[in-house]
Order: sequence, then C-alpha cells, then structure tokens
Amino acid sequence: MISDKLKNIILKELNLEDFDFTEEMTANQVPGWDSLNHMNIIMSVENEFNFKFKALEILKIRNIGDLQKVIDVKLSEN
Amino acid sequence: MNLTIDWDKFINLFLYNPRDPILFGSSYFLFFFLTVLAALYLFRNNHRLKVYSIIFFSVFFYYKAAGWFVFLLLGVAIVNFIFGRIIHEALKTRSKNFLLIVAIILNLASLVYFKYSNFFIQIVNDISSSSITPLNIVLPIGISFFTFRALSYVIEIYYEFITPMKRFEEFLMFIFFFPTVLMGPIDRASTFLPQIENGFKFKKETLGIAVFLLSTGLIKKFVVADYINLNFTSRVFEFPNRFTGTENLLAVYSNALQSYCDFSGYTDMALGIGLLLGFQLTENFRRPFKANSVADYWRRWHLSLSNWLLDFVFKPINVRFRRLRKTGLFIAITVTFFCVGLWHGPNWTFVLFGLLHSFYLIVSMLTQSSRDKIYKKMGIKKNRLFRFVQIVFTFHLLIFTALLFKANSVGDAYKILNQIFTFFKPEVFPQFIEAYPTIFGLILFGYIIHFLPDSWEVKTKELMSKQSTLTLSLILTIVIWLVVQVKSAGMQPFIYFKF
Repeated sequence: MISDKLKNIILKELNLEDFDFTEEMTANQVPGWDSLNHMNIIMSVENEFNFKFKALEILKIRNIGDLQKVIDVKLSEN
Repeated sequence: MNLTIDWDKFINLFLYNPRDPILFGSSYFLFFFLTVLAALYLFRNNHRLKVYSIIFFSVFFYYKAAGWFVFLLLGVAIVNFIFGRIIHEALKTRSKNFLLIVAIILNLASLVYFKYSNFFIQIVNDISSSSITPLNIVLPIGISFFTFRALSYVIEIYYEFITPMKRFEEFLMFIFFFPTVLMGPIDRASTFLPQIENGFKFKKETLGIAVFLLSTGLIKKFVVADYINLNFTSRVFEFPNRFTGTENLLAVYSNALQSYCDFSGYTDMALGIGLLLGFQLTENFRRPFKANSVADYWRRWHLSLSNWLLDFVFKPINVRFRRLRKTGLFIAITVTFFCVGLWHGPNWTFVLFGLLHSFYLIVSMLTQSSRDKIYKKMGIKKNRLFRFVQIVFTFHLLIFTALLFKANSVGDAYKILNQIFTFFKPEVFPQFIEAYPTIFGLILFGYIIHFLPDSWEVKTKELMSKQSTLTLSLILTIVIWLVVQVKSAGMQPFIYFKF
C-alpha cells in the first residue's frame, strides 16, 4: 500500500492537489511525472525519510509500488 | 518443350549475396515465409521442434543477408547467454557490476570495431594530419539492432527484471529471430523471452490485425516510400543546385515522409509477421509527425530504440548526477542524444542530428515554466488551434533536422537550405504539380493518412478483426497486386539496413 507520507511527497513535487495512486501505476500515468520531477521526488524521499538510495535501487524502480517497497526496505535496515 | 533447370541459378538462391538479402515484400520472402509457416504447422505440438525450426530458418535468413557473420551472431548469443547466467549467480553487487561492465564492453567492442573503426581513423587523420589507411571492414547487417537486443538481456538480468534462460536454443532464437534481426524492433528480453517460454502460438483472432499491418507496411514501403524516393527525393538530394528552392522544399517534405514510410513500413510488416508466428513484437511508431514538441516526438518515433536508450543510458546518468538537478538532466540528455546520433552511423551528419535534438530538448525545458505562464495568461494552453500551431512548428523543426539523415554531408544539407532561402521561385510549384502529379499526389496522400485521427486506425483494426479469413486473404491479395503494379523495377533496400 502507498503510504500517506510518500503520497504527500509526490503530490507536493508534482504540484497536484490530489491523485489516486495505485501500486502498479507508472510515471507516465501521472500528470507531470517527467524525468526532472522523478529525480526531485527521489531526492525529496531521501530528505524526508533521511536515507540515501543507491543508484541501482533507483534504477530498479518500475512503478509506485516498487518505490514504496524500496522505501520500506531502507527503513527496516535503519 | 525443353525444360532445363539452371542448377547454378538454383543453388545461388540459397547462397549469401550481399546485394540480395531476403527482403520483406519480395516473392522470395513470400515463399520463404510460407515454408516457415508450414514447418511451424507441422511441428505445432512440439515446442522444441518449433523453436529449432525458427532458429534454422532465421540462421538461413541472416546468412543470406550477411554470409559468415552468422558466426558473429552465434558468438553474441553465446557470450550474452553465459554472462546472463554468471551475473545472476554472482553473490556480491561488486561482482555483478564488474561482470556487467565486461559484458557491455564485449558487446560494444564488436559494434565499435565493425561500425566505427574507420570513423575514428578518419578523425585521427584529420586532427593529426597523419594518413592511416582505412581498414577494409564489411559491416555485419543489423549489428546495431542485435547488439542492443542482446545487451537488454544481460542488463535486465542485472536489474533482476528477468532470470536467465534455462535453454540456450530459446535464447538463440531470441537473438536470431528473422523478423527483427536486421532492422528491429529492438525487443526487450523481458517482453520477448516469456513469449518463447509460453509456447508462442498463432491466435486466430490476431489474423485481422496481422493482415492490416502487412497491408499498411507494403503500401508505406512500396507504394509511397520507394516511389517518391526513386522518382523525386533522391534526385534532388543528389544535385540540389540543379533544382529550385520550391523543389528542394518539396524534397524536404517528401524525405521526411519517405523515411517514416520506409522504416515504419518495415516495422508494420515485422509486427504482422510476428503475429502470424504467434509473437507480439514491440511497437515502434505512434504517428510521429503529430508530436507537439520534440520530447513528444521521441515518444512516437523509433520507440524501441528511444526507450532502450532512455532506460539504459539516460536514466543511469540522470540518477548519478541527480544532485546537480537540471544540469544533471542536461548532461544525461546530451549524452543520450549523442548516442542516438552515433547509433545511426559513423558520420558527422548523424552526430549533429543527435546534438541538435538534445539542444531542442534542453531549450524546451529551460523555457518551459515561462512559456507555461505566458500560455496560461493568454488562455491558450488547451486551445486546439494553439496545439495545431505547436504541431506545425515541431513538424518543420523535425523535417529540416531530418535533412541530416538523408544528406551525405553537412555541406549537402546546407546546399538544400541555401537553395530554399536564396532561389525559391514559387512559380515553379504549379508546373511541378502538372509535371509530377503522381509524386505530388503520393506525398499528399501519405501526409493525409498520417494526420487522420488515431481513432480511425483503431476502428479499422476492429473492423479487420471481424472479417473472415477469406475476406482477409482477398484484401491482402489486392494489396499485393497493387504493390506489384507500382513497384519499381528493382526493390529498394530499406533505409535502416545501413544502421
């Protein structure tokens, strides 16, 4: 499930008021989620959750569900 | 009647001839493909024999076009199959990284050697005034396509998107697969390999779509692209100074249409053939000239290449330089489009083509927020007329940049522009239409079809899907008859063969 914290980060970075995210959803299905905003979201997640992604962890993300999973793994490691 | 068989001629039909590959749309291909279908039907209940049949016919297909380079392709398959396995089995990330880098270097080394050696020698000669003799290298046809296909396998294993293939022959089939080996689409291992493992079977309900794709492919390639190229575009591009600016401008329009019809025609046929063999191949085109920005164009033109580069070149660089924000993004764009240019060939025209596209994208991104504000203030952001203006502007930017694709040198492209801007002579236009009504008609026909609403294509496909096999056979026969009527005496090789 997509956490509220992640949802709010994405909404803030994409300047959206609200959006119904699903785990299978990919970047091109969300308005404004382009390459630049993708990196902004990644960095915002790093700042908010206080960890750093490895490059490979980011490259393996294929949808929002993957992003949530990698956040959960990083949090459980800390 | 004295019927004698010319055995030399007959044997030559099965031997490598660089000038005579088995081209989609030729009568040879039709015979070849019917034999493939017969073999698949015969072995319909034996998966392994089906795989072996496709490998057998694909090896023959590639041998006919590239001779003993079949062994290079075999080498590519063996190397990537082994690396796929050892990358997967490596326990440490460091070992995986190292193995992936070695696999990439090996793949690119063969590509660079065959495709770019003489380009580098030329650069060295130019900058150091030395005179190294160019190497006598024959380019293995399709190398840029099959190298990228093979690389997707090891990279996707590294990313853990797929696990290694258990059977080598199934991987061999992926590398040699005749509908895509020479000119793509560059299918990803992750989308193609599961189709082999799931037993690829022709589905009757896809027959209508397959016939639609074969028909559009044949018409695009043989009725539109070849005809306007032979009878008009090539002539102007060869000697631009012999023609007025009006004719040069028309050649710019016809060149863009011809490039699209040639390549997307091939792709349509590949997709149709794929469906008849039981495969859903990767989509390559979505009406590229309908793009309302250059970024949009790259979501519509040669998608299997642009998505490959997006995932495996652009994203890693963008991630690496993410802290530089926009600068990091611009570095990633420039490197990616430099690769796009160079991928097309060892020529400065292609490098310039790639760099121009990266320049357009960077300028577009830098000005996006201020443009958005202006559009909002003027209330035109969602205006249909404004969108039309954007499409027209993007289209002209693209077709003038595409000059670099056809021209032999940057100087030749300049000559065409120079004729347009200094020797336009608009009064030639009515004379042109009068003298070449077929060419003008075909250019107009090609663009009108291209700009029709997408929903029309969807509806046509739906309609085709509902037709009986008899009606579909009749449609395909009529299309083939039409193609035979207009086909030029000698078949023209596909433009993308040289890449």
